[in-house]
Amino acid sequence: MDAELIAMQLFSGVALGAILVMVALGLSIIFGMLGVVNFAHGALFMVGAYAGLYVATLTGSFWWGLLVAPLAVGAFGMLIERVLIRPLYGRSIDDPLLLTFGLGYVLVETVRILFGNEGMPFPTPPELAGVADLGIGYFPIYRLFVVGVVAVILLLLWLGLEKTRFGLIVRAGARDPQIMRVLGVDVARVWLMVFGLGVGLTALGGVLAAPMRSVDPEMGTLVLAEAFVVTVIGGMGSLVGAIVAGLLIGIAISMTALFAPEMATIVMFALMALVLLIRPQGLFGKPGRA
Amino acid sequence: MSAPLLAVENIGRRFGGFVALEGVTAAFEPNKVTAIIGPNGAGKSTFFNLLSGVLAPSAGTIRFKQRDITGTPQHRFVHLGIARSYQITNIFPELSVHENVRVAAQAFRTRYDIWRARAAMSELDERADAALAAVGLLGRRTTTAKFLAHGQQRALEIAIALVAAPELLLLDEPTAGMGPEETRDMVALIEKLAADRTILLVEHKMKMILGLSDRILVLHHGRLIADGDPCHIQSDPEVRRVYLGQNDGYA
Amino acid sequence: MTASVHSVAEVMAGPAGRRGWRERLARWRVPLSVLVLCLLPWVLPSQALAVNVLIYGLLAVGYNLLFGYTGMLSFGHAAFFGAGAYATGIGIGQFGLPWFAAIGYGMLAGGALAFVVGLLAIRTRGIYFSMVTLALAQLVYYTALQATSITGGENGLRGFTLARIDLFGWSIDFLDPVKKYYVLMVFAALALWFVSRILNSPFGAVIEAIRENETRARACGYDVERSKVMSFTLSGLVCALAGALFALHLAIVPLDILGIQTSGMIVMMTLLGGAGSFFGPFVGALAFLLMEDVVSLWTPHWQIVVGTVFILFVLFLPKGIWGTLLAWRAGR
Repeated sequence: MDAELIAMQLFSGVALGAILVMVALGLSIIFGMLGVVNFAHGALFMVGAYAGLYVATLTGSFWWGLLVAPLAVGAFGMLIERVLIRPLYGRSIDDPLLLTFGLGYVLVETVRILFGNEGMPFPTPPELAGVADLGIGYFPIYRLFVVGVVAVILLLLWLGLEKTRFGLIVRAGARDPQIMRVLGVDVARVWLMVFGLGVGLTALGGVLAAPMRSVDPEMGTLVLAEAFVVTVIGGMGSLVGAIVAGLLIGIAISMTALFAPEMATIVMFALMALVLLIRPQGLFGKPGRA
Repeated sequence: MSAPLLAVENIGRRFGGFVALEGVTAAFEPNKVTAIIGPNGAGKSTFFNLLSGVLAPSAGTIRFKQRDITGTPQHRFVHLGIARSYQITNIFPELSVHENVRVAAQAFRTRYDIWRARAAMSELDERADAALAAVGLLGRRTTTAKFLAHGQQRALEIAIALVAAPELLLLDEPTAGMGPEETRDMVALIEKLAADRTILLVEHKMKMILGLSDRILVLHHGRLIADGDPCHIQSDPEVRRVYLGQNDGYA
Repeated sequence: MTASVHSVAEVMAGPAGRRGWRERLARWRVPLSVLVLCLLPWVLPSQALAVNVLIYGLLAVGYNLLFGYTGMLSFGHAAFFGAGAYATGIGIGQFGLPWFAAIGYGMLAGGALAFVVGLLAIRTRGIYFSMVTLALAQLVYYTALQATSITGGENGLRGFTLARIDLFGWSIDFLDPVKKYYVLMVFAALALWFVSRILNSPFGAVIEAIRENETRARACGYDVERSKVMSFTLSGLVCALAGALFALHLAIVPLDILGIQTSGMIVMMTLLGGAGSFFGPFVGALAFLLMEDVVSLWTPHWQIVVGTVFILFVLFLPKGIWGTLLAWRAGR
């Protein structure tokens, strides 16, 4: 087992983790603001991948797919919030969770009807094919690109949260929803935008992940469980937690795949169990929130 | 002077870097009514949460009937003889008034029995109805709790606490949100209950406290700044300064 | 004092008449359920549907103990259903246990798994709890997928077909669907009786109190965590029995039984019928399976219809079919 192989696998983990960060971040932003756990999050990840594939095939360019799919699915997310989730505010916290679970069911079946049960390949765009020699080893260019895109998105999110009025409202609202009313903010509109943003992030994760695997209607199921694990480990509603835990899980999975492949899908759940035992509120979560 | 029922020594509670309560020492004799007052954020709720086991103190000891009970889990408190009501009404909304109190009474009989029929345990019905009679709610026993008027819900919460036959009863703002008439009923109820048990209460309504309490503790910024009978507290210069400065309606 | 004693008698007399039908229904709920189960194979369009309603109805009843009565929304109950099925199959096929011992083994395995998962999951609350149960059930799924030598991995568990079963000297043809149905039904009836006793017991009052108000239940002197683990384990035990019956019925255990779809289906059935009511889960299982049967006649994508119906229920009929009927009857 040489150092180069380990470095490559480590990097693979970072790329995998970067996708998880997108998904978990979307989940966390929605939860932090609306107090809703979106159980259709995995299905929307899958819808994002299919939307990306569809647009890319239609236009003949991966780049259009990458740009249009997250925006379109994000807009779809806003529609979901407006029509399905909004009637449930003020009811039991379980209701939005149940509803989004049912929605996930419907989305998966809809995709099956439109695109079939079988998985489809999602070709890596030619500009990003091949490997790059970084001196310490050869790395697939596409994965470098994924990590780069996620880094840019994180930077934009950070700037948006820290420097804009919308970001200020979101940060204040996540801490204390009462404050938004005091400030005279149109709460309904902020929630609409936040839900759209969260869904857009998971859809982007879906498009980015697609060329590294194939797309299939079930691809969201494992992602949903992974995103939950990341959120539990990172701490519910904590954006830093989602980033750290996402990368941690990505690396843990790919390192286990190297040394004990049969344990690769199991290791993250074991990590989650460990965190639950030691720190049930998660690494970056506030006590009492759990 | 009889031995204190409850004695706290130097107790405090921190939340991260924030000190909610610090260095409070006090002893409480049986069958007295003591009011805890102070401006918002003075640490009254924290104090109550420490006394009822909701929070564990980060410093100091709590003794109940000479026994050190510091760090006892919350669900044990009611079995020791300490029961409480909450500032925001805390009942079982979908259960009937009777069932609310009955399930509270059951904790003293059995908690994990999955086999016997609970309907056969008729002494629980009697205990529950006695507690309901004590707070004047017997006539509403089959009403679903969430449909009671606000004042009646507060009374129900006290019945839930009473069925434990507590030696120490902690009442967190028992008249919060009540109109003058409901407040009068509640004061009468507390006076009746005070005849044979020790009561600690947090309140904002000064006139009520002065008439009801044997003793008043004043908290400010997490510290105990005054402790004495109502006359003494009314003339205490520091208390006057705190309340005038806060403009809390005391003056 | 005399005045209050007098009023006790007074107030007790009044509502007894109004609430009478509900109490009568509650007292007869187990015999009534068993009666309906006895008739099921003759009133439903197919034997296969009847046995599915039996098994999934029991599964939902077990789940309802946790979700409907304790107020804990688990998204991982496929794990205990599956564990019961796998352990029963393994008990017969690999350990050579007699069939009734294998059922016991299946329940033991599912109950033990529920105890461990419960201990971990109750460290969290609310929606967090739902996420953790889902994730832990996925752990069970992937473990079963990897442990090919024991579970058969992706191909599922096979090789434990029972042609005849022996009980107290009788030998019953287990390939005859009607006889098989009634053998399985005996176990389901026993489980219903067990669940009914729990609900009527002092512990039944404790879990309802926890559902209504956890803080208050704790202040009343109940160890909420311990009670939750107990409820979780009891619920898992009943679901494991449903799994054991499933294994005996199909004589194979597909890996899918552990999947997230199964967990979701349990939740859907319970909610469709009416969480927190005794008959609700069976009504929900029947409605779900009927819907599946009818819709799949004209499209293989029946799940889209089921999912849409489920969404509509969450939006407009959150009490489910049976719960809404009860509320409507009580409101008149």
